[in-house]
Amino acid sequence: MSSSKSVGLREKAAKFLSDQVYLPYVGPISIWILLFVFAPLGVVLYFSFLRVGPFGQILNSFTLEHYRLMLKPTYIQVFMRTFVFSFGTNIICLLIGYPLAYFIVRCGGKWKTFLMFLVIVPSWTCYLIRLYALKTLTGNGGLINEALLNLGLISSPLNILYTPFAVVLGLVFGFLPFMVLPIYASLEGLDPSLLEASEDLGATPLKRFFTVTLPLTKGGILAGTILVFIPSLGEWLVPMLLGGAKVMMAGNLIEEQYIKLGNIPAGSSIAVVLTTIVVLIIYLSVKMGGEEVLERMM
Amino acid sequence: METKNITSKILPVSAILVYLFLWLPTIVLVVLSFSNNKFGIKWEGFTLRWYADIINNVGIRNALKMSLTVALVTVVLSTIIGTLTAYGLYKYKFHGKKFLRTSILLPITVPYVVTGGALLVFFTRVVNIPLGYPSIIIAHVTFSAPLATFVVLGRMGRIDWTLEEASADLGANVLTTWRKVTLPVLLPAIIASAALIFPWSFDDFTITYFVCGIGTTTLPIYVFSQLRYGATSVINTIGTIFVVLPVIGLLLMNLLQKKKVS
Repeated sequence: MSSSKSVGLREKAAKFLSDQVYLPYVGPISIWILLFVFAPLGVVLYFSFLRVGPFGQILNSFTLEHYRLMLKPTYIQVFMRTFVFSFGTNIICLLIGYPLAYFIVRCGGKWKTFLMFLVIVPSWTCYLIRLYALKTLTGNGGLINEALLNLGLISSPLNILYTPFAVVLGLVFGFLPFMVLPIYASLEGLDPSLLEASEDLGATPLKRFFTVTLPLTKGGILAGTILVFIPSLGEWLVPMLLGGAKVMMAGNLIEEQYIKLGNIPAGSSIAVVLTTIVVLIIYLSVKMGGEEVLERMM
Repeated sequence: METKNITSKILPVSAILVYLFLWLPTIVLVVLSFSNNKFGIKWEGFTLRWYADIINNVGIRNALKMSLTVALVTVVLSTIIGTLTAYGLYKYKFHGKKFLRTSILLPITVPYVVTGGALLVFFTRVVNIPLGYPSIIIAHVTFSAPLATFVVLGRMGRIDWTLEEASADLGANVLTTWRKVTLPVLLPAIIASAALIFPWSFDDFTITYFVCGIGTTTLPIYVFSQLRYGATSVINTIGTIFVVLPVIGLLLMNLLQKKKVS
């Protein structure tokens, strides 16, 4: 009786183990994500509700003051700017990126590979270095100002740096490849017979573009938007290097609190708000079919 | 017909302008790395002295060593974890699979500043992980393992799995099957993910900036610290290396792919 029971148990255990064969595969990442993603984000959420003492020490008492502080006009202004800049960057990237991808696909053959190569390489080089290069070029003693001065087009150097224009320029400069890539992929996947059909049916090139090409590459545009808009919302390096203290974005507020001021609860509350916004937008874009689009790209 | 003519003229011109925008700053940086100007912002005759400078500079050598070490360890850890994960997600059905997939996407989608800041708070206030190699590598793997997962997963569908089934049918155990069949089949996907992760880790500034602490740093952090002192000629030379290396890497990968096709 007891032996048959233990056999039954052993069988059950064996079955249980064979049912868990996926564990060695997905176990490591689960532990890693739990330890280094969920735990830190949970800690940030927890800290965002803690009071800060007179000497900057973190007190173990609950407060909403850090969230209330974010209703200050300066903070709201920074968040609004973050939104407007990211949205603008996305539109500009789309307006320049789409024609570029279209041009590359139409070039075809060897040129196509080479031209795409030129788009991809910048996204593989150090972001900090590229931004630094842009900064030197557009700075007061930089090449652009020197050239314009020498040509007599301007009498005093243009102040490009530390303006909203410089920040948006930097964002477009950094994110453009991520818009071109998915649009290029979707244009490449376009069935040429559909275009021929619409031409045969008498559609003008312009009409053909708006009724056939554009709707069929919607997926590429959506993927590009996810890859440009969402990362720009969390961007801080571009505004720090090209915008200075005058043109901050939400990411700079977090860095300022965490690193410069050492106020972890205040930084955490901003991080919570920014992350919530980003996750909400990702959720919405996944609902709109973004997940399928992104997965096809990977 | 007329619109066709206009677009066929506008498109190339606008493309050239966009390429100029993307590349002019970098080209200027590379050219100025050979300039005799101390601040590296003007052309004052050809010199190689900045290159000699960075070879002799202990700070840069240490930073380079750290960058390479971090990138190598990150690539190894991330590709192992990522390949296992992709295999598990592709081959098995289990409870919470969808949740796991979404969770894996989290480190890629949460802003870098938040990931970096959260890890800094976690390392310094909750678990005492020393800032330096351990913290930087953990932070890099947290970002790269999901990347590896999705790169490998994306290629799983294109793989012919019959060999693996045959190997199991012929009585090979799991480890032998992995070693002899699964791993060789997955190798291109693993290499592809490594090729993505290495430069990412080597180039990363934001996440490293938060968790690096004081002392030895990676090359991008070194560059950043130099920016404050305004020693810009050296930055041009380091920057040139950062530009040239991926070009060589991408060209090599392209060549290898072509060889395999032919």
